[in-house]
Amino acid sequence: MRRLPVYLLLDTSGSMFGEPIQAVNNGVDVLVSTLRSDPYALETAYLSIITFNSSAQQVTPLTELSAFQKPTIDASGCTAMGEALSLLAQKVDTEVTKTTAEVKGDWKPLVFIMTDGEPTDDLNRGLAEFKKRKFGMVVACAAGQGANTDTLKKITECVVQLDTADSATIKAFFKWVSASVSTGSQKVEDAGVEVTGLSELPPPPPEVNIVV
Amino acid sequence: MELNKEIKDLLSNNILINCSDEEVIDFLTWRIKKDWQEYDKERMDKAVVIKNKIDALPISFPNGTVGKEYHASFSLPDDLVEDYWLEDVEAIGLKDEVNPTDNSCNLSGVPTEAGSYTFRLCYKYKGWVRGMANLERKFTIAINPDPKTLWKNIPTPTDIEYYQPDSECGYVKVESKNGQPQKDIVVASQRGRSHAHEGNPRDDHYRVEYLEQSGWYIMAVADGAGSAKYSRKGSSLACDAAVDHCKQFFADEKKVKDFEEYITVYNAEGNDEYKKLLGDYIYQLVGNAAFKGYKAIETEAKSHENVPMKLYSTTLLLSVCKKFDFGWFVGSFWVGDGAMCIYDKERQYIKLLGTPDGGEFAGQTRFLTMPEIFTDQASFYGRLRFSIEQDFTALMLMTDGVSDPMFETDANLNKVEMWDALYENISKEVELSDDNAESQYQLLKWLDFWSQGNHDDRTIAILY
Repeated sequence: MRRLPVYLLLDTSGSMFGEPIQAVNNGVDVLVSTLRSDPYALETAYLSIITFNSSAQQVTPLTELSAFQKPTIDASGCTAMGEALSLLAQKVDTEVTKTTAEVKGDWKPLVFIMTDGEPTDDLNRGLAEFKKRKFGMVVACAAGQGANTDTLKKITECVVQLDTADSATIKAFFKWVSASVSTGSQKVEDAGVEVTGLSELPPPPPEVNIVV
Repeated sequence: MELNKEIKDLLSNNILINCSDEEVIDFLTWRIKKDWQEYDKERMDKAVVIKNKIDALPISFPNGTVGKEYHASFSLPDDLVEDYWLEDVEAIGLKDEVNPTDNSCNLSGVPTEAGSYTFRLCYKYKGWVRGMANLERKFTIAINPDPKTLWKNIPTPTDIEYYQPDSECGYVKVESKNGQPQKDIVVASQRGRSHAHEGNPRDDHYRVEYLEQSGWYIMAVADGAGSAKYSRKGSSLACDAAVDHCKQFFADEKKVKDFEEYITVYNAEGNDEYKKLLGDYIYQLVGNAAFKGYKAIETEAKSHENVPMKLYSTTLLLSVCKKFDFGWFVGSFWVGDGAMCIYDKERQYIKLLGTPDGGEFAGQTRFLTMPEIFTDQASFYGRLRFSIEQDFTALMLMTDGVSDPMFETDANLNKVEMWDALYENISKEVELSDDNAESQYQLLKWLDFWSQGNHDDRTIAILY
């Protein structure tokens, strides 16, 4: 079966402590429970969570939606975004199947990155690894005013910004991510094509602003 | 307050002999309070140590699915726990059974409702006595809905452009000749669940014919690209134009006579000169048929407000064949994914009539509507095939809606056991006996098979 891998890269640095990290936890819960009721996503989408603070770690390996159980996500430390991108590249190599004569490959992974600050490590090294891999669609989200959208633009064309990192706004972002994964799974199953740009995703809610 | 007589007697013989009752009570209260605090702290500490150990045990429960048997088991070390049980699992439709001999527990049942559920593992830790609180550890699992119940089946609105029915089937019956049963064609096409869920039309198409006069069979199936707005028209134009071209070719008696003569000579002598001559005929026949399909789409796109041709993107699998005294002549053209194969069960023989077009990542295929299919001569010739074959069980053409779930990979298309499995799978539900026109409905029903993540339109044509 052709899987649609979805990677969430979540900033869990100290600045996310409190309300924001609680909102992220709730957001992942909502994301997963919403997608479970969508037949396209339930059968096709596979989810992995990579968190980054002083280092990057894959807290949930790529898992089919029906088997996914949310890990507890805590906040502390700095913002090793570069390392997170390197780890993502590594995991895509091992977890995402390419089509060969022997094996029917997966769809290109969807990636959602959420951060509230500037990277504290060397972003370029991770970025170089990341750029060598093929992704379907990469959306970077600047949560609040502390994140630099210019930095995120280096990672992807598709950058969105949340005015504040409060729970209502973060929840709105995760709902939009969920709708986007639904659209992505439907497109691959229905039409056999992958989403490639923000214009193909559902329109973001008012809390989520597209950065041009 | 008065001291109990027995305690009083006990104390009076001892050091408290000169104390008043009040003093004794005050002393005892002080002493017991202190001891109790110490005792309470010690047992709490013990409980915390055990709780931490239990919390750290690698116990996890998988998620379940509505209507599907659920089973999980685990055990707790009996040096930590006296007795344990699960609470709140009934709400999920599950039952826990603890086996005291090895302290193991089975959690099983059939979940009835989807949702997220939290339940508790409650236990009496070692050293627990009545009156002490039970300890617990919480678990959360998800019960997934049965994906089959999530798919809706919305009929396609009949007033859309290029409407075609959500399913179709057909049977071409060829009467016995000289007491010999002749091969028939059964074909069916079914809209995929993913299209049905949205009320979108079926994009697959087929066309099959038997030409009574010349004895040639023509079969075409096409898969309109789901991403292309008018692909349902693309697939039907491709099939129709290609089959019409072949019919026209076979209507030219002189041409057919020459063609068949070359086939006969080629079979007898097998030399390169005739091979080349036949190659030219195949080019004219199925090669040009494919090109007619391309042109038909081009014309349609132009007349339809000059929209781009890629809105009509479609694959095309086309095969022509005829039975001769010495065997079958089979010619074919193939662009895109899907599968087209001659299969003989007895001889354990398969022959793919081309190579499917795949990509590095899933979902990249070639379409008839791409001009490079025709401009790149070398690759175009590669799509044309002809051969002389011994009699066979079946010649099958199918879109990827069938071949993906049945074969999964292109490599598997070359494995005869995979074709055995497919044919057996079909034969279980479809009675492939001579002149059985009923089999078209059985085949259509068979196309409804369940395969996770594979809900594309499905079309299969079988010459048997």
